Amino acid sequence: MKGLLIKDFKLMKTQKNYFLLILAITVGMSAFSEDVSFTMGFLTFVVSLFTISTISYDEFDNGNAFLFSLPITRTSYTLEKYALGLILGGGALVVSTLLILLTNASRNIRPVPEILLTALLILPVVLLIQAVMIPFQLKFGGERGRLAIIGVFGLLLVLGVVGVKIADALHIDIFGILEQLPAPGMGMLLALLFGAALILLLLSVRISLGIMGKKEF
Amino acid sequence: MLKLEHLQKRYGNFALDCSLTLPPGRVTGLIGPNGAGKSTTFKAILGLISADGGSVTIFGKALKDFTARDRAELGVVLSDSGFSGYLTVKDVIPVLASLYSRFDKVFFLEKARQFQLPLDKKIKDFSTGMKAKLKVLAAVSHDARLLILDEPTAGLDVLARDELLEMLREFMEKDEEHSILISSHISSDLETLCDDLYLIHEGRIILHEDTDVLLDNYGLLKASPEQYEKLDKQFLLRARKESYGYSCLTDQRQYYMENYPALAIEKGNIDEVITMMIRGAAL
Repeated sequence: MKGLLIKDFKLMKTQKNYFLLILAITVGMSAFSEDVSFTMGFLTFVVSLFTISTISYDEFDNGNAFLFSLPITRTSYTLEKYALGLILGGGALVVSTLLILLTNASRNIRPVPEILLTALLILPVVLLIQAVMIPFQLKFGGERGRLAIIGVFGLLLVLGVVGVKIADALHIDIFGILEQLPAPGMGMLLALLFGAALILLLLSVRISLGIMGKKEF
Repeated sequence: MLKLEHLQKRYGNFALDCSLTLPPGRVTGLIGPNGAGKSTTFKAILGLISADGGSVTIFGKALKDFTARDRAELGVVLSDSGFSGYLTVKDVIPVLASLYSRFDKVFFLEKARQFQLPLDKKIKDFSTGMKAKLKVLAAVSHDARLLILDEPTAGLDVLARDELLEMLREFMEKDEEHSILISSHISSDLETLCDDLYLIHEGRIILHEDTDVLLDNYGLLKASPEQYEKLDKQFLLRARKESYGYSCLTDQRQYYMENYPALAIEKGNIDEVITMMIRGAAL
């Protein structure tokens, strides 16, 4: 696992400039944008994508054949990609939160607890994104994987929009219903979100292990 | 060390059925034309592709029971794959050190310097020779017991090939239990390095012989049609029609030299044996 992580960080080094550019944009946004959640979400999401790019790098020029002749297993390879995703996503979230806290200290646009709460809400979303992207990338690889991921996110968006439209047509007021529900505490909502994200992540790990187990190099 | 028993793999028209044994302390060559099944055999040994039948046993262990720790005892070179081209030699060192507990960094760096491998250049920008040297160097620098080398010398000039073969000889000298399974197109590499050779054609092993026996006892007879008619054919393996008559492959060169002094008889060499075994007709 450690050897694979070292390899992936060495691979990501080749994208250093791209990485610095994203960081610069985030610094700019945290200094000038009012939208805290977007700034955090942006850095976290984009940095999470680096996990996917390491999978492409591994596949480049049939590199996987040699990689899997090294003393690693298909299981350790798969788990390492999730670990990398969590390290990158979690790290980016911490960095963006610190940046915002720093700029907020002089601008004072949001109370600190609200910023921290936003960060906590983004974390399960990061887990969800990893859970969806990694199996698709492992299954389809490179270009096709990227298209598949875009397709899935697009489909989810369309389903959401269609759902709301249908509800509108049937004169069901979704937001009204949501408001009438007994409001659980913020802690409860967070716990639910984390629970759901974790279950999906574990399911995703299982699917990925299945995909990698069957692969031929 | 390594035993394949009817290892099978089917791809459309191609069917592999390969059995071979590699005892400790031996260098065994797998030779054959392009598409004969060499790379498929190597990939199945390494578990990179799933076999459709038969068994692979390495160090007495079935492949399915092979762990990452067992894999650390192997040194592998694949013809069509290597370290990611986006890494540099410097990047590869900590990866190898982390994956192999017995990785010898001093040896690796010394050889890299000797081979003039640039440490900071991306591997994808290496020449064919530099890439090949790096692959073999990585395979021999962690005290493996068994090397599995698919075409390690492909595309190399004579000097580079000599350097690589020398490194393999050093590997064999380190421990008498060390073994190598190697495939190559270049028969002179195999003649000097291998103790025995398996010839694979269309997925099947069609010849297995000690290299010494092959070079000493095998021979090529060149016979006119009349000479061919009178020839005792019991020790002929293959015959082929030529413009002058027939060329015949035998594994009893001495017999024909003694009994047919008028016949043109050449010493066996690997290239001739391959060509005759594949192109010639069985008698």
